[in-house]
Amino acid sequence: MRIETIITAVIVLSIVWGGLIYFIRRALFYERQKSLNGKD
Amino acid sequence: MKQQEFFSTRWALIISVLGIAVGTGNIWRFSRVVAQNGGGSFLIPWVIFLLLWSVPLIIAEFAIGKYSRLGPIGAMGKIAGKNFSWMGAFIVMVATGIMFYYSVVTGWCLRYFLSAASGNLMQVDNHLDYWNQFASGYLPMVFHLIAIGIVSFVVFRGITNGIEKFSKVLVPTLLIILFGLFVRAITLPGAIEGIKYFFTPDLNIILDYKVWLNALTQNAWDTGAGWGLIMTYAIYMRHKEDISLNASLIAFGNNSISLVAGITIFSTVFALSTVDGNSNALQQISQSGPANTGLTFIYLPKLFGQLSESVFINSIFASAFFLALFFAALTSLISMFELGTRTLIDFGVGRRKAILFVSVIAFLFGLPSAINMDFLINQDWVWGVGLLLSGAFIAFAIIKFGVNRFRNEVINGIGSDVKIGKWYNIVIKYLVPVQVIALVSWWLVSSVSWDPEWWNPFHTENAGTALFQWLIVITAFLIFNKRMYHKTVENNK
Repeated sequence: MRIETIITAVIVLSIVWGGLIYFIRRALFYERQKSLNGKD
Repeated sequence: MKQQEFFSTRWALIISVLGIAVGTGNIWRFSRVVAQNGGGSFLIPWVIFLLLWSVPLIIAEFAIGKYSRLGPIGAMGKIAGKNFSWMGAFIVMVATGIMFYYSVVTGWCLRYFLSAASGNLMQVDNHLDYWNQFASGYLPMVFHLIAIGIVSFVVFRGITNGIEKFSKVLVPTLLIILFGLFVRAITLPGAIEGIKYFFTPDLNIILDYKVWLNALTQNAWDTGAGWGLIMTYAIYMRHKEDISLNASLIAFGNNSISLVAGITIFSTVFALSTVDGNSNALQQISQSGPANTGLTFIYLPKLFGQLSESVFINSIFASAFFLALFFAALTSLISMFELGTRTLIDFGVGRRKAILFVSVIAFLFGLPSAINMDFLINQDWVWGVGLLLSGAFIAFAIIKFGVNRFRNEVINGIGSDVKIGKWYNIVIKYLVPVQVIALVSWWLVSSVSWDPEWWNPFHTENAGTALFQWLIVITAFLIFNKRMYHKTVENNK
């Protein structure tokens, strides 16, 4: 496989899928915090 | 008017809005556009416009809906001022214009799912003939009616018992099916060739401005940013609900699903085209066919027939694919119906009467698209480009309101988990308008080059037909602007 193919795949997947995982984790964190504080 | 219903949790809201964003655009349009624009060369600008178009506009839609607690007509009046309710009406018109033919497309997906589930589709010899026979008969009208019936039932049940409940079933099921197909596709012998093409950039193509414009259009199309649909669902957000984090999660979630669908389709087509003896897989993905149906309704069913020797197994995969497509279309169609219904509710009509009215109008105005494919293609063109104007109107409303005030008071206001920085001001003030001007100008200039009579409103897919239809509706909305503002904003104070 060509190097530019691997670089593109890594960039695209890490931004899009990585971004999604990051935002899900942040949302879970805030939800957990809210339930601990009894705000929800 | 007091707000009656809310999405019960953050996750219920996210799943429902994801249902809006994930539609047929993610599954069949994305793969076609990637193939037409050089595979990996397209993906780089596509990711950039996720950040410059989709995320800012989804944040804007969430914030406007939550702040105004009104559908687009009232919301634009409230945000931009009493002289600009017509812009909200244009946003409603664009989404409704798309709804008229989208219910026909939803019906096609249902029909193909039933055909695949019954095993008939896998026994067809000539899929082009099969499609043409279906499209020219009375069945598209029947399935158009069935799609409207299902969606009306969901919207009639309201937010918590209707949209939220159904989205909680439809969206996860869609994701499970897509993931199952993804795993099967990437494990097919030869699938790696499709994945390679999908991610390999061509440095000559990446500098072509058309690739960038197509990447922007794809983001506008498949995230639902600028449609007014997310704005409508945001009316039902709880008061202490976050905006920016939820919006980012949806934008990235939507594009993640596009990637899953893209890899699945490229793997399948490249792997099975070899079995077919036809190595020109790329041509098969990028060929449009009537109303861009070539890949989805003609070529993929043919490929599913070659998955294995067993008609039963092939039918399972084909029916899973069309069921996913049907669910994706259905959840988006639900939001379009809710937009129409909510608009009438703002005008003082009860939900029951509003949904009945929207259903009848949707059926009648969808009929020409169900009968005549050229009509559908033309409406797709007119309101597809109109979508970009909707995005511009949303940006304009925020600029009129004051971008800094909007960011501080609305986006970063009550309930926000993540605060948005000043970068948002620059994106909304400068980048979104520049993107719209570049894209609309390019589309209109292109349409001049392919139709010498570009001004003729009775030709299909040219500048004249788009400008003519926009002009009619904008004139009508300007005439009734004051009345619309009074009915939606003043009466709902």
